[in-house]
Amino acid sequence: MQADRRRINAPSGGTAPPIFATPKDTPLRRPTRTRKPDEHRKLFLRTGVVPSASGSAYYEIPLQSPQQPELLVPSSSSLKITCSVHGPRPLPRNAAFSPNLLLTTHVKFAPFATRNRRGYMRDAGERDLGMHLETALRGVIIGERWPKSGCEVVITVLEGEEDGWWGDAGGQEGGRAGGWGMMGVLAGCITVASAALVDAGIDCVDMVSGGVAALVQDGQDGTKVGGEAKIILDPSPSEHQNIRAGCVVGYLQSRDEVTEMWMKGDAGTQVEALVDEAVKAASLTRTVLAEAVREAMGLKMGKASEEATGGLKEDKGKKKDVVMTG
Amino acid sequence: MGPDMANGAPTAPGLSFPRETFAKLTPGPFLHAHLKQQEPTRANGRSPEDFRKPTVNIGSLTHSNGSAVVRVGDTAIVCGVRAEILLASDIPHPPRDDVEDDDMIEELGLLVPNIELSTGCSPAHLPGNAPGTLAQSLSYRILSLLNASNLVSPSDLSIRYTKPQTEDGGPSEEAREVTKAYWTLYIDILCIALDGNTFDAAWAAVIAALQSTVLPKAWWDADREAILCSPLTAEAHRMQLSGLPIASTFAVFSTASPLKRLEEADSWVLADPDSFEEELCKENLTVVMGTKHAGNDGLLRLEKTGGSVIGKVAMQRCVRMAEDRWREWKGVLGGG
Repeated sequence: MQADRRRINAPSGGTAPPIFATPKDTPLRRPTRTRKPDEHRKLFLRTGVVPSASGSAYYEIPLQSPQQPELLVPSSSSLKITCSVHGPRPLPRNAAFSPNLLLTTHVKFAPFATRNRRGYMRDAGERDLGMHLETALRGVIIGERWPKSGCEVVITVLEGEEDGWWGDAGGQEGGRAGGWGMMGVLAGCITVASAALVDAGIDCVDMVSGGVAALVQDGQDGTKVGGEAKIILDPSPSEHQNIRAGCVVGYLQSRDEVTEMWMKGDAGTQVEALVDEAVKAASLTRTVLAEAVREAMGLKMGKASEEATGGLKEDKGKKKDVVMTG
Repeated sequence: MGPDMANGAPTAPGLSFPRETFAKLTPGPFLHAHLKQQEPTRANGRSPEDFRKPTVNIGSLTHSNGSAVVRVGDTAIVCGVRAEILLASDIPHPPRDDVEDDDMIEELGLLVPNIELSTGCSPAHLPGNAPGTLAQSLSYRILSLLNASNLVSPSDLSIRYTKPQTEDGGPSEEAREVTKAYWTLYIDILCIALDGNTFDAAWAAVIAALQSTVLPKAWWDADREAILCSPLTAEAHRMQLSGLPIASTFAVFSTASPLKRLEEADSWVLADPDSFEEELCKENLTVVMGTKHAGNDGLLRLEKTGGSVIGKVAMQRCVRMAEDRWREWKGVLGGG
């Protein structure tokens, strides 16, 4: 690996992630899906977490199954995403004229986001996620209202969903097969970016929300073959042995439009059903999104009305007006 | 300023600008007007010697050996410590035998801290570019402080192996303990929200994350010629830090300018500056206090840049405030 002169680098000998030797008497337990096929995981969404940005939001899907406390290695991962929006702001002087708001999206995984440590440079997968996110958002923003301006959507994935169960890969590879985790991350990115855009006060035609569905064919007792193919909402890839196809959509509920669709794998004849289920998942996320936005709005309105009525409490430590001369 | 402002009487709404407008248009006079009151108060409502309240949350990251989220006011930092293995045989230029045990970590580069500001935490640090000067200097300051404070003990990081006696080794070959590998700690620091004084918060996040770091039991497997680790929590061990160094930063706001000499100007020392104040202050002082021992008052580092307002007396005052701040952090972090 090329040394990065602007960062502090690993020792020149190179390091390797630890290899775990699991004793025979401690069985690894695969996390199992305990919720119904059409049930979404609980998620947490809050806006206004980064005061220095125009708008921001935080999205989290907490850990589902309890971890095995006797093991140091986590059996599954949670999903934690922060998003901040900067803008709309004027484009630099040397930029070409643009009649619309120029949207830039940027998705980056934190180095500690996944089982294998990630670098600081964005890799192709992260850039691809950024492109998908941009398509999902571009259809929502009313860009004509801000000519000659730009807007940056910056997403940091603090903890990403895994592509599979780490035990399947013998504990070595960290379950890197299929890239199913990326789909959950993209759905989260769409939802969190939508919340941050609203927080920034950028005009949108609707709130876009992300949803995932997958076609799984789990065998009995941890085998990959056999079993019945069924479509589930919001899959957690570590809970399944055999995911055949997956689909992410960015969905505008009130207009019944899809701004972004990403399908992967072989869904066979069930393509339409799969998309429908992904839309259903997006509608479920939207309820949380609307709730979070409404809550943040309530707080903002409350603060504004307090200021308008001059109800400033003269507490110690409160900001007070001062006299300026000179 | 207009006459409305000068008399200080409450004016009819609409004739005066809101506070934010003044702060944006004339930041310097705005802060000055706050500080020169009878009882100096900063624009953010704190008194000059007030620090912001820290909160710490430990162990929230799944894939890290140790992690912490530290918030100081509106500055929020996430730090994750990830341990990887450096084989002794892979080190291209092994350090000589006469290297002190304490210098081993620095010599091998076993601690790799990096701070990332381009996470959208502030409009000044947008992603897509290489880390700026501030990020580079912060990473370097954290690394040098980690090395200077001997926080991590080399014995925690080395993976030892006792060579068995070989049959043909003869009488001179005895059972010998060698270091087969070292743990390398990647300390990744992400700034989630930025409102001034990044160094104090980032350093506290590093300390809190290192305190919570658990390393698995590792051994050299002679048959496979590799290091293996045990996934069992019961066999893992928590790292022991020596001491609890805490950084406290002060900034100096002064009305001195090329037209006004320092003796005629007013100056204030502001503890724990936020980003609005950082923009206006040229002189900075960072005091790092460690644990006090007998015959050692714990002062680990003084870094002062940019001016000459803080003299001997003011410096002593800052050191005393840093001691108080150390006690406050100790209450939050424990240990020490």
